[in-house]
Amino acid sequence: MPVISRLTAGRAVRSGVIFGYIFGVAIASSAISYTRFYKTAAQRDALAAAYGANKATSALFGSAPQLQTVAGFTVFKISMTLMLLGAVWGLLTSTRLLRGEEDSGRWELLLAGPTTRRGATIQALSGLGAGVLTLWALTGLITVLAGLDASVGIAAGPALYFALAMVATAIMFLAVGALTSQLAATRRQAAAYAAWFLGVSYAVRLVADAGLGLHGLIWASPLGWVEELRPLTAPAPLALVPIAALTSVLLVAAVYLAGTRDVGAGIVPDRASRRPQLRLLGGPTGLAVRLARPAVTSWWVAIAVAGLLFGLIARSAGGTISGSSVQVLSRLGSRGNGTDAVLGVCFLVLAVLVAFAAAGQVTAARAEESAGRLEALLTRPVSRSRWLGGRVLVTVVVLLASGAIAGVFAWAGAASQHAGVSLPALAEAGVNLVPPAITIAGIGVLAFGVWPRGTSIVLYAVLGWSLLVVVIGGIGGTSHWILDTSVFHQMASAPAVPPHWEADGVMAAIGVAGALIGGIAFQRRDLQGE
Amino acid sequence: MAAAAIRTKGLTKRYGDVAALDHLDLEVAQGEVVGYLGPNGAGKTTTIRLLLGLISPTEGRGEIFGLDCQRQPVEAHRRLAFVPGEANLWPSLTGAETLRLLGRVQGHVDEAYRDELVARFDLDPAKKVRAYSKGNRQKVILIAALMTRADLLILDEPTSGLDPLMEQAFRRCVREARDRGQTVFLSSHILSEVEALCDRVGILRQGKLVELGTLAEMRHLAALTVEATFEGAVPDLSGVPGVSSVQADGRVVRCQVRGPIAPLLKVLAAADVTELLSREPSLEELFLAQYGARD
Repeated sequence: MPVISRLTAGRAVRSGVIFGYIFGVAIASSAISYTRFYKTAAQRDALAAAYGANKATSALFGSAPQLQTVAGFTVFKISMTLMLLGAVWGLLTSTRLLRGEEDSGRWELLLAGPTTRRGATIQALSGLGAGVLTLWALTGLITVLAGLDASVGIAAGPALYFALAMVATAIMFLAVGALTSQLAATRRQAAAYAAWFLGVSYAVRLVADAGLGLHGLIWASPLGWVEELRPLTAPAPLALVPIAALTSVLLVAAVYLAGTRDVGAGIVPDRASRRPQLRLLGGPTGLAVRLARPAVTSWWVAIAVAGLLFGLIARSAGGTISGSSVQVLSRLGSRGNGTDAVLGVCFLVLAVLVAFAAAGQVTAARAEESAGRLEALLTRPVSRSRWLGGRVLVTVVVLLASGAIAGVFAWAGAASQHAGVSLPALAEAGVNLVPPAITIAGIGVLAFGVWPRGTSIVLYAVLGWSLLVVVIGGIGGTSHWILDTSVFHQMASAPAVPPHWEADGVMAAIGVAGALIGGIAFQRRDLQGE
Repeated sequence: MAAAAIRTKGLTKRYGDVAALDHLDLEVAQGEVVGYLGPNGAGKTTTIRLLLGLISPTEGRGEIFGLDCQRQPVEAHRRLAFVPGEANLWPSLTGAETLRLLGRVQGHVDEAYRDELVARFDLDPAKKVRAYSKGNRQKVILIAALMTRADLLILDEPTSGLDPLMEQAFRRCVREARDRGQTVFLSSHILSEVEALCDRVGILRQGKLVELGTLAEMRHLAALTVEATFEGAVPDLSGVPGVSSVQADGRVVRCQVRGPIAPLLKVLAAADVTELLSREPSLEELFLAQYGARD
């Protein structure tokens, strides 16, 4: 096997094993929990009545046919989460192993041999293919094993088809990442382009599923195509055609473009020179603001668009809520009726976005150290506490502004539909998004101080766990001990219910304590590279 | 009495069982230019990272102008400027923006000198760091250090990636710094650079400082090279005390002399010598003698 294929495959397969296990366990636990919690036909009918026509949950999690069956429930409960997780895995893995490797200069060594740029890209893509194959195989294996349980009763063929549907976004977004790795000049930029594509895909699918009479839009979104595969309920393999077509076109384009550009450069021109822009270059905190600006702007736009969309659909989706729907939404923490209840669930999605923005800030701080740039500041009269304190301050301001943006834009969307939701209530709901994100950031700073090389692992593990627990546990019954470990479960579903300021205070205190301990540990440890 | 620019006492850094730096006792007086030599992995960069407070010592302590490197790093850093061997800078900033940032962070910049350095090093400050070559990134970090006119310059392989013209420009800057009374601590693999610039030289070996002194004081480490041309018969020099590596080429004999040269001169005086050349060892020979003798 060629060296680039082998190197890429080694890393992609390792990651594929971890995520395949997560995918498989999530599917298996969904299927099995359904059989435990919805034992009678009456319970299952009630569930179907609650979700079947609920536009809010359809918009967020996709449509919900056949909820009286294990298969239908499993698809509804887990598929959107895994589709998004798979897409994020795909775009991050391919941009890391394509553009990231090029950024590091390692590709230059390999390209100094007989390998051409296109040849190297094809080799790397074959390695990524091995990773996604592993992801599918492991997801499929665990799903097949879970299906053997008599109460679950999913045959091997449908189980493997379901697993394929669940990794379809991973396949497409590996290809998206491969293309953006050719377009952008840096890994971060490549990942940002791909993330934007994912955001737009999700938004289009959300509108299509929101019951606004625009279901045809589902075919305009790659996430919609995966939904149209309808695994386990009404399989429609024809939807594999656009998935395969998009993937093929993107891969061919990536390989073609790889041969037309210089190594280290992107297709999108990056201006090499410019007039100096000296604002915010007075010290480490100003620099942190300046460095964070592009990523934070993207997060704010994403949060604003998501908030606006949620506001727009809230009234019509809320109108579909019946008595049993209220019970179901209450499992996601949302109480009350109509628009408020829908917004309560929507703000959970916004909380996840804000928490990801928090994680991004901490990983960016760690990147400054691992890339050696921090030394340029700490060998000057800048103390470690001043540098880290500045970064934490910037993070807190970013999070507060994120919460405010979420609240204001959700209100703007809702107000345009005369949903009868007040600005103060949604502003309060926006502020309510901040404490879980502060907890995440604090845990991240703690990891940064104590185990710097594990900062990303800890952050995304806590974030992924919290998300998985609140989604899986929220729809089906789950022990409150497990639910309590999720920061999103601790957050009240404002505006459906008033914020739990005490719980918010505890979360903020955990974040502050984590940041303080992490800061002290950072003061005492050696700087560490990659 | 003024505090030493650099003083270490028993400074040690261990990684598990490996001593990256082993009980370093070093003193650099203010205004001195000191070279710091050693092969890869000898502990040079570890010493510098300890002095800068980037890593903590396992034992011992280091001071910069009497300020504890670990407890008072900010105060110490006000008086020094550092140039690493690899310039890790922010890719999205231009050269000018980087200089502005690092100057502001340092707190004091000689702006006229900065502009002169930009011209002297032929740097295009409008370019983004991402677009710079390795050598140009190194120029940015060099200018950022020199423009501060700091009391102490700590330079770790500072000319890495620079072309010979820029290397000359660098040497000129160091001489100017010395003339202004600045202290320079120069870790380098380029022995000619150290030989040309430094008042004293320290040689590090496997984490231990094995030599420290002026070049003149260190001459004893390597032999004197002597070349004699004879009119008549060539005498046998192989038995002369202190003489080694005798090579005869017709009437020309070359040899190495360690210790007193008097026994050799006595033999040569008795022969018919028409030409006699002797040369002191270069720093490169001293360095190689130090390593060759014990490896």
